[in-house]
Amino acid sequence: MEPVRSRQKGNRTMRQSNQLNRREFLAAAGIVAVGAPYLIPSGIRGANERITTAHVGVGGMGGYHLGDMIERREKGQVNIAAVCDIDETRLAGALKKAGPGVQPYRDYRYILQRKDIDAVVIATPDHWHGVQTVHAAECGKHVYVEKPACCTIEEGKAMVAAASKNKVSVQVGSQGRSEPEAYLAHRYLVNGNIGHISRVDCFHYPSPEDNNPVPDSDPPPELDWDMWLGPLRWRSYNKRYCHGTFRWLLESGGGQIRDRGAHVMSCAMWWMGADGTGPVTVEATGTHPTKGLWDSAVLMDVTYTFKNPDWVLTWRQIPDDQLPPAEERTGDEPGGKITRPGYGAIYRGDKGEFIHWGGDGGTWAEKKARQWEPPAGAKDVYKSPGHKEDWFKGIRTGAKTIMNIEAAVGVANLCILGNLSFILGRKLEWDQASQTIVGDEQAQRMMSRPQRYPYHL
Amino acid sequence: MSKNNLTKTSRATAGAGQNEAVKELLTGIKDASDKVRTEAWLGAGKAGAVAVKPLAKVMTDDDLEVARASKRALWQIVRHAGRPGANEEKRAVETELIGLLGDDQPVPVRREVLWMLSEIAGRSSIKPVAGLLRNAELREDARMALERIPAKGAAVALRAGFEAASEDFKSNIAQSLRKRGQEVAGYPSRKLVPTKETNVKPL
Repeated sequence: MEPVRSRQKGNRTMRQSNQLNRREFLAAAGIVAVGAPYLIPSGIRGANERITTAHVGVGGMGGYHLGDMIERREKGQVNIAAVCDIDETRLAGALKKAGPGVQPYRDYRYILQRKDIDAVVIATPDHWHGVQTVHAAECGKHVYVEKPACCTIEEGKAMVAAASKNKVSVQVGSQGRSEPEAYLAHRYLVNGNIGHISRVDCFHYPSPEDNNPVPDSDPPPELDWDMWLGPLRWRSYNKRYCHGTFRWLLESGGGQIRDRGAHVMSCAMWWMGADGTGPVTVEATGTHPTKGLWDSAVLMDVTYTFKNPDWVLTWRQIPDDQLPPAEERTGDEPGGKITRPGYGAIYRGDKGEFIHWGGDGGTWAEKKARQWEPPAGAKDVYKSPGHKEDWFKGIRTGAKTIMNIEAAVGVANLCILGNLSFILGRKLEWDQASQTIVGDEQAQRMMSRPQRYPYHL
Repeated sequence: MSKNNLTKTSRATAGAGQNEAVKELLTGIKDASDKVRTEAWLGAGKAGAVAVKPLAKVMTDDDLEVARASKRALWQIVRHAGRPGANEEKRAVETELIGLLGDDQPVPVRREVLWMLSEIAGRSSIKPVAGLLRNAELREDARMALERIPAKGAAVALRAGFEAASEDFKSNIAQSLRKRGQEVAGYPSRKLVPTKETNVKPL
């Protein structure tokens, strides 16, 4: 099956620029959000200076990012120095697309050795995100990495530490935060239009089952299987692992909760002002595939309980006929028609409810948020200039990105803990301050996963 | 009936019940229906230690889905036994798993068992797992399993394994030792050293 994410478009550039300095907004509104500069920008100084990028993983979303950067190259924003993939066919295709002057690599570590490259765009399978981000940061490269940020709690900690220590700007590809209607939804909610919000229910259609299982085989000649596996323990090649389908395996992807949860729950954490916080309990149930290699939950119901302030977040993968109906739109609205009605979230306040659909490169807010006119004195929230633009700003100024690594790890941890509870079949307690599962030794061990040498953090 | 005889009888009765439960589990695991197999492996957790070896035998079944169901059933047992407060059950499962590390078992089974042990193993697993640091096919998995076992003895075994390891494997174990907070002279990680060349030529 073609991965669901391949249907996703990327981030759209916002048409409007910031009306006010964002820190003025935040100071006035008292809203916890992306804040003061937290790193010393390295290398890139001038607003007009081109950023030299390299692309690690050029299929799927990686192909989208490469195309996006080629457009930006035409506009004089970036140079593209290199493309990298462990699939030679994909690599050759990406090279052809990127054109002369771009160096092809199989091994991303050649890119990290090059002093002329400022930043890397990482769009590899999830099990590579942590290791490659840490390695890139250690080599002084700024990083745009696809979501979810990490596969284990340990990886997330290492990513935060590496970005901080090496003072690089990291943007994680939960680009829903940068969408125009995400801004409208956020502004609507923080101004109390549905009152105090005590519950956010995320919904999503099920993860697919592998209806065409095949035996292990030799990898195709164009694929470096060892390099595809990277940090994962060794196993024989099976064509149901890749490409794209990696996300239906708990080890390398984690199912819809990680693929789309990293978008929808990203919006929830951002709009609820909950970045930097975490749940105190996590409890998951779900159904399992009945055959095949894929093992992520088909249907799923996860409940996260937060304290101080008290609220509940749920993630539910439910049958299509139980999904909330999408809002009717004419298509003339700025955001157009809702093309991804199968996921989103319902925000439940004491004065009403609010719903959005999508949450990634397509984010649609309910009409009442789009039509709401802020009265004088209303709170405003950070309005991203676009997900890549926000990253470029982070690189140039040291400002924290909208989906900075700390926030992204917080969201990824929700996904990880949900899957851990599902796998273990029991409720977990989480201590946010120490970033540790409490009172369950087996679960604690599963917060990290030993990595194959030399593909380690 | 004496107390001893009563105990023996109740154990025998319990044993017979367990055997029946395992037989039923294996029947479900080997069923032709996807649904029946799935129900079987999902319910395997409570079967416990007694089901470990019978399931391991089915892990290499010619029918891929039967083999997979068996493997998943074993994992269910490991995850169930690892729950808080079930130490006795966990130790019993661990003992059975250790028994599957020997040369008489196929490599894929032993590899899977190493990872199962990495989640629940205590001190008794350390020696048999460390022994596999000398096995060319399993040494990397054994290293990673030891890295994950929190007992101090695991770090001691890694150190001993490092001293005894061939040159081509010392860096691997050195990485595990550093992860465990130990200092290692030499053998720096080569994690940032590129090694893989592409055949794709620049335009």
